[in-house]
Amino acid sequence: MISITINSKKIQVNEGVSLLEAASVAGFEIPVMCNNGELEHFTSCMVCIVKDVSTGAYIPACSAKAVDMIDIITEDEELSEARKTAIELLLSEHVGDCEAPCRVACPAFMDIPLMNRLIAQGKFAEALKVVKNDIALPGVLGRICPAPCEGACKRKPIDQAVSICLLKRFAFDEAEILPEKEADLVTDKKAAIIGSGPAGLSAAYYLQLKGIQTSIFDSNEQAGGALRYSLSDEALEKEVLDKEIEIIKGVGVKFFQNQLITADTFKKFRNDFDAVVIATGDFSESMAGWGLENNGKQILVNKTNYLTNLEKVFAIGNANRSMRLAIRSAAQGKEVATAIEQMFQGQPVNGELRRFNSTIGKLLPEEYSEYLKEASSLERQHPEGVLMNGFSAEEARKEASRCMHCDCRKPDQCLLRNLAERYKASKKRFAFTARKPLKKVKEHSLIVYEPGKCIKCGICVRLTEKYKEEFGFTFIGRGFDVEIGVPFNEKMNIALQKTAEKVADSCPTGALAKLAEMPNGLNEKMI
Amino acid sequence: MQKEIDHIIQQKGSGKEAVIPILQAIQQQYNYLPEEALKYVCANTSITAAEIVGVARFYSQFRFEPAGKHIVKVCTGTACHVKGAGLVFDALKRNLNIPDGKNTDSERNFTLEKVSCLGCCTLAPAVQIDTVTYGHVTPSSTKSILDDFKNRINGKKNRKSKSSKLTAFQGEIRIGLGSCCVASGSDEIRQAVEENLTKDDLNVTIKHVGCVGMCHQVPIVEVIPKGKPAQLYAKVKPSDIQYIVEKHFRPTGFIGRLKNKFEHLVENIQHEERTEGVERYSIDIREKHVQAFLGKQIPIATEHRGVINPLDLEEYIANGGFEGLKKALLLKPEEVIDEVKASGIKGRGGGGFPTGKKWEAVANQTSSQKYLICNGDEGDPGAFMDRMLLESYPYRTIEGMLIAAWATGASKGLFYIRAEYPLAVIRIKEALKICNEKGIVGNNIMGSGFSFEITVKEGAGAFVCGEETAMIASVEGKRGFPSLRPPYPAVKGLWGYPTLINNTETFAQIPYILSRGYKQFAAFGTESSKGTKVFALAGKINRGGLIEVPIGISIRHIVEEIGGGVQSGRKLKAVQIGGPSGGCIPHFLADIPIDFDSLRQAGAMMGSGGLVVLDDTDCMVDIARYFLSFTQKESCGKCTFCRVGTKRMLDIMNNICEGQATENDLDELEKLAEWTKKGSLCGLGKTAPNPVLSTLRYFREEYVAHINGKCPAGKCKPLITYSVNDNCIGCTICAQECPVGAIPFLPHKKHQIDITLCTKCDICKQLCPEDAIIIS
Repeated sequence: MISITINSKKIQVNEGVSLLEAASVAGFEIPVMCNNGELEHFTSCMVCIVKDVSTGAYIPACSAKAVDMIDIITEDEELSEARKTAIELLLSEHVGDCEAPCRVACPAFMDIPLMNRLIAQGKFAEALKVVKNDIALPGVLGRICPAPCEGACKRKPIDQAVSICLLKRFAFDEAEILPEKEADLVTDKKAAIIGSGPAGLSAAYYLQLKGIQTSIFDSNEQAGGALRYSLSDEALEKEVLDKEIEIIKGVGVKFFQNQLITADTFKKFRNDFDAVVIATGDFSESMAGWGLENNGKQILVNKTNYLTNLEKVFAIGNANRSMRLAIRSAAQGKEVATAIEQMFQGQPVNGELRRFNSTIGKLLPEEYSEYLKEASSLERQHPEGVLMNGFSAEEARKEASRCMHCDCRKPDQCLLRNLAERYKASKKRFAFTARKPLKKVKEHSLIVYEPGKCIKCGICVRLTEKYKEEFGFTFIGRGFDVEIGVPFNEKMNIALQKTAEKVADSCPTGALAKLAEMPNGLNEKMI
Repeated sequence: MQKEIDHIIQQKGSGKEAVIPILQAIQQQYNYLPEEALKYVCANTSITAAEIVGVARFYSQFRFEPAGKHIVKVCTGTACHVKGAGLVFDALKRNLNIPDGKNTDSERNFTLEKVSCLGCCTLAPAVQIDTVTYGHVTPSSTKSILDDFKNRINGKKNRKSKSSKLTAFQGEIRIGLGSCCVASGSDEIRQAVEENLTKDDLNVTIKHVGCVGMCHQVPIVEVIPKGKPAQLYAKVKPSDIQYIVEKHFRPTGFIGRLKNKFEHLVENIQHEERTEGVERYSIDIREKHVQAFLGKQIPIATEHRGVINPLDLEEYIANGGFEGLKKALLLKPEEVIDEVKASGIKGRGGGGFPTGKKWEAVANQTSSQKYLICNGDEGDPGAFMDRMLLESYPYRTIEGMLIAAWATGASKGLFYIRAEYPLAVIRIKEALKICNEKGIVGNNIMGSGFSFEITVKEGAGAFVCGEETAMIASVEGKRGFPSLRPPYPAVKGLWGYPTLINNTETFAQIPYILSRGYKQFAAFGTESSKGTKVFALAGKINRGGLIEVPIGISIRHIVEEIGGGVQSGRKLKAVQIGGPSGGCIPHFLADIPIDFDSLRQAGAMMGSGGLVVLDDTDCMVDIARYFLSFTQKESCGKCTFCRVGTKRMLDIMNNICEGQATENDLDELEKLAEWTKKGSLCGLGKTAPNPVLSTLRYFREEYVAHINGKCPAGKCKPLITYSVNDNCIGCTICAQECPVGAIPFLPHKKHQIDITLCTKCDICKQLCPEDAIIIS
């Protein structure tokens, strides 16, 4: 046994253990990327560096052995800076999107590519579930949304964008409309929502699903707000809106119509409810006496959690901003539900945080063919037949198969993304030159290889060597230009006879991923 | 093909460690690596596809496409870089009609490559076509060089020479055979001498000697007529030989002399055209500057320089060779180590780790096997010390290794020699063969009962393999990836056994310490850094070459006294010392002593000993970028900070040189440099930022000037424009020679340069007889 000090904590460890193992014994976690349990260390990514107190030297914890009397620090400001720098260097050459651009463009951050893939496979109910994770009113928005997602679609410059909005509408229209199960309440706390437009309906739906009893108070005879009273029947069939409201009622939301909210009622709500959400569509003169900070047109809110100047009072939708975009209002309804849940649980009220997202921007024309490997080459489908303006199941499946899988197959498992988030890294810091061209190698029935996402840690090279693949992977070139590839340009299905899934599972990023890799904990069978 | 490959495998072995020698042999055979051949190797050895491809793709020596009939190598070492190698490369590319993005012309006649250093720094810029080296090349002389080369291959005379009959001994002629000498044509000199001696039936011994160190004067011929004082001739041409021979070895009549003088005059006129590329002065003999150059030096590693034949074992022994080894073998190993420790010698490879301590660490290991490696993988693109030592003093280096082996208990040793040094490899192999025959290497060395075998490994073009752990990986037949130390090679080295790795120069100094005693060695140098150090002095200096000086000597002393001052009377700006790992010492610190500590404090390092003199026409930002692009290219790609960090630093440097950077980028550059230094795995990455950091420290104002769109030295192409001033006499030379037609042909009128066409190749400026082309 030897004595060592880690973060001022003295411990005894066996001789020969690495600093990483020693730190773990002492209860300190050190981030790693290129470390792999069944292989000897390789010392590539350098995010595990720690500081030797006596010499001031920075040493990689995965490879350095603990020696008697060594005194190390595993986390401080300088080390964070070092790790952040290492991660930013890796990000500067990372050619890949964590999230598909359509999803990023969607104000509700709906998992569009996943919906597309499910529709393409005929799994319509699952597709609707994906939609409803983020959009409470898919039938409505499938008809009236201006679809910013389609503007961002990477397929757009190739031929035409995927018809996302109609696919969402299809998912709603196709599914049998059964009332959703009433949500079980998890708290005594209650929320009141003023207004039943897209923002109010959406907030109520997600609050109720979180187990919070929610009541909507609305001045009109029927619920729906601007969706009902500002849109023509051509723009939106009211039956669709009615169906959506029925579902929201079905999960347990209480609706109170014909309610005139005065300063006094507002005050009463603040007493009777644990949270009040203003979703009135605007800031009218009648609200002047409510005590809300405003600029005469809108209520001023904290942009991350929608809190107003009044305690427990939130404002969403057009009440806090002038742009009239139903999807944005609906998105805020979903986000405020998260903020309220956080408040009720005594957590910091940060609202819905977007994860770190690596983006590559536009595809270059020479890269189109790489992305098209993931999609059908069909032209954009247009609805015909009995369903006016809506897809048939066959059309929908065809259209959905045009989606190019721009999203990463390992959005949650990717260590680079996780660490980028942890150390607040920026992808842009070292972006001085044009990115490397993008490639997708889809030659294997089980895995996909995207060299642009590789951090050159060589785990896959060493695994294919260990398991004695005849070809396997090797390092091609050296230095910045080094790439992992198959010797003699052999095809991937020949190179990886035994280890394909293993290398995909062991790859710390999305460079090697199983074809069936499923995000968001959904079942692999779904794809 | 199978037959050839079978033969290669038979020769080189079929184990994994044979992969590099096999690849080298295949390339030797086919001039590239045919995929079919590599597949055949995999099928018939224990080498896997991943291994052979991984290794082949790591080392820059290997080619994957057939090359042209002739290979044109443009040296881009430091000295060549500062003397315009980049422009020479561009000009050659143009003259050889090589399309963009390719390195071979469409007829596959010529392949144009950049090499990191040919080790002929004093001939900078140097270009090698196959085996012919041209020195002092300019963009405008590239055409005539190619013509010269084509003439050579078309009209090559088969000059056979026979050795002269031995009659009465009349004297000796010594011809330098270091690479610089050979590159500058000493082989032709030798032929000319032989021809003249044969013709006149003279009994004069031709003696091949190693590097004299006066590389700025090559080829050098020394004539020692029996019983008369020696005469040294510098920059000799083959046509001079007749005159030299006649002068010393037979009386000449008046007419003969006159004829000779006339021919001489004609030659001088001809050589204004510099058809051979190598500029030569008229022969002038021993002068004061030779004294100045050699007089202040203390030869230890380079003892008997220019006197002994590198491969003449008896001569080496007659001059005290192997005395150190004999003495060591009479001592106990620990006593040898004590002697080395007491001498205070530190590793000459750059790091400066005490040699005795390193030996002790290996000696202290109990192991069935210990290895010893002589590091001759000199990668600094401005240094040629190891090459000179290996070529000129092979026995001394071998002796040092034998002493080390005795002291540490190693039984197997090897030379790891850089791929670009074919002559050094030949010399060492030859010397080892002779030593084996004479019982100096091998079993029972000199009857002592001590045995030690030595082999030679050739590098394959990877700077990082100068790093101990990467070198070991390379010897084991792997990609040259370094690994974390500890464990140090002294504990766990080659094949997992304790391994001593010392630099060539270190080994070359060891015999002196043993034969003369540690005190005599320690008498030179400073308190903390003992002995002497060999430097390759090059760049903007009057007398460049290989020098050996006591540690602690000042930069000023080297530049002004030994080197004879800055070339063309310009002002000293800085001295780049330590190559890509070192830094630039500014002129105002020229009085600091050259030792390990002072250099480190000044932001440089001893490095292996490259010393490149820079004058006021050199752009320090460009110099820093040059070194950074070198290390960036040589990064093995294993760890993030070096692989991506050096690349991003280079991106910023490129932006600065193009006037595209901001003050903010300078801060970012400094931060990134710091982390690359602290966070990289091995010495390459840890020192790669030094050239940038040292120039930022001493020449920050030049960086700022670039940010403001100006390159004060007029070197950074995107920031300069060429124009014509009123000195122009309208001679049209520039108009005729401009490769892109940017100067209209207007005789007797002031010329003008169309800057939209100008490629800034510098040819007009170099050719203008009136200094009328200016850069602004």
